[in-house]
Amino acid sequence: MTDLVSGKRPYALKLFLGNPPGLIGALLLVMLLGIAVLAPQISPYDPDDRVGRPFQEPGAGHLLGTNDIGQDILSEIIWGTRASLTIGVVAGMLVTTIGTMVGLVAGCSGGTVDNLLMRFTDLVLIVPFLPLMILLAAFLGPSFYNLLLVIGVLMWARPARIIRSQVLSLRCRTYVEAARAAGASSGRIMFRHILPGVLPLALAQFVMSASMAILIEASLSFLGLGDPLQKSWGSILFYAQARGAFITGAWLWWVLPPGLLITLTVMGFALTGFALDRYVNPRLNQRQAGG
Amino acid sequence: MRGRIGSQLVQYLILIFLTLALNFFLPRAMPGNPLSRLAGEDVALMSPEARQELLVRHGLDRPLAVQFGIFLRSLAQGDLGYSFQRNASVASIIAERIPWTLLLTTTALTLQTLIGVMLGGWAAWRRGGSADYGTMAAVMLCRSMPSFWIAMILLAIFGAELRWFPMFGAFKPWLVGGDSLAAVVDVLRHLALPVTSMVVLGTAETFMTMRYSMLDVLGEDYVRTARAKGLREVVVLYKHAGRNALLPVATVFMLSLGFAVGGATVIETVFAYPGMGRLMYEAVLGRDYPLLQGTFLVITLAVIAANIVADLLYPLVDPRVRST
Repeated sequence: MTDLVSGKRPYALKLFLGNPPGLIGALLLVMLLGIAVLAPQISPYDPDDRVGRPFQEPGAGHLLGTNDIGQDILSEIIWGTRASLTIGVVAGMLVTTIGTMVGLVAGCSGGTVDNLLMRFTDLVLIVPFLPLMILLAAFLGPSFYNLLLVIGVLMWARPARIIRSQVLSLRCRTYVEAARAAGASSGRIMFRHILPGVLPLALAQFVMSASMAILIEASLSFLGLGDPLQKSWGSILFYAQARGAFITGAWLWWVLPPGLLITLTVMGFALTGFALDRYVNPRLNQRQAGG
Repeated sequence: MRGRIGSQLVQYLILIFLTLALNFFLPRAMPGNPLSRLAGEDVALMSPEARQELLVRHGLDRPLAVQFGIFLRSLAQGDLGYSFQRNASVASIIAERIPWTLLLTTTALTLQTLIGVMLGGWAAWRRGGSADYGTMAAVMLCRSMPSFWIAMILLAIFGAELRWFPMFGAFKPWLVGGDSLAAVVDVLRHLALPVTSMVVLGTAETFMTMRYSMLDVLGEDYVRTARAKGLREVVVLYKHAGRNALLPVATVFMLSLGFAVGGATVIETVFAYPGMGRLMYEAVLGRDYPLLQGTFLVITLAVIAANIVADLLYPLVDPRVRST
């Protein structure tokens, strides 16, 4: 956080321009966001309509062919962008909010509260992730909100730990001591003085959690545990797998593109996250440079 | 030191209790008849007498506290429940699957650790260079891919198109009991694609850990001393720096070992590999709730056990922890 101390704060734009991987990540995200927003305009067909013969190969009418019930795969993929980005952003926000609150409360209160909260966080960190998600998803039933709930309940632990350690270091800063000496209440110190200091870190955690959430949604949808009413990249792959797309050669246009998009999205979030991480935590730079 | 391990054990005991409680309450808290959640949906096909017997055995007509007692007692006797769909005890079904899962995951884990350590050490040595960034980028890319997708692509190319490897399962049933060498080769050939998928995905963590810890160690004085003595770079890298840099990797390895029992649900599903992960998925598909809970319980207990072992072993591997 030397930037904050010295008062010289590089602009976010400059940060991305000076960091090619971060720039690539940000561009990827902007592109995907564009596809998601413009889905109704750019997708050639309604993804839920049966618009042609099933199992068509790519051709003039259908650039990526049609699926097992004659829906246009390209349109499915374009609309799938919405589902994946939505779950990523919403779950990422949920996870980061819970994590930040837990980290903030634990770090600011210290003592028994801190001890108990961190013990609980450690518990959540040990839990085998995917099996518990499968168990919960199977019992709760597949839907968007259940998916969100399951991801939210299980993923906040890492951000909480990271935020807490930052809070601990901010707590001893002179400006916080000054506020305390001036008689500010603990709530005011927590939200007015410490929270702004952890927000950049929380943003980096948000980006990381979003990419994790997208991978998890894809995995659960692939297992048939996602929202059955929503087209997502995971569910496209679920049907491709179920109908044996890789035996017929259809994998080239049915399996390859959705997976590639998942990879690009996760990469986009991860690269942006690393760039943000370096921005809020310059010590990482030194270490990576071999210091 | 003893106090730390003690408090951690308490923590694990709490986690075990929570897992058991979750397993107990999930089927009972869901809407609908808890009997169907406890016995699977085949319960509708049972005779009233059989249903009544089941009701009494789980104590569903008694208070929750008593039910929990019954649940714990049968678990303590190694009774994980009974799968009516498969007409077998959950414990015996799981016991059948565990060897396959362990074969798959430990092979993958060994390979990815070896590859990750070598690549990570090398990247740290070439820090800041194009080799470093190149490997980092490649590893990041691999880590961003969904595991089931890697598996599907490998299956399509090397299974369906080129026909180099078998596409499904863990072995050819007709080779069992025949020529043993042919059977071993057959098992290895079935293992190739699932293991490759797992390695592509899993190398990232070891690589990152090794690279970071190697960078840390390379900055230490004793490494500079070794260099100053005129030792060859390879010796410094692998004999002096490497040994200490391996510690965090050992932690990652031990913790991953815990997850090994859980297998890789999605990868096992793609290859129809008869492991624990696939078993859990089959249980979900068939709404076989007793089986689902049994597999979840075994997987969680394995993870906790690995954590405990890692905690106990770590001071042996790293003497610096002992003094604190």
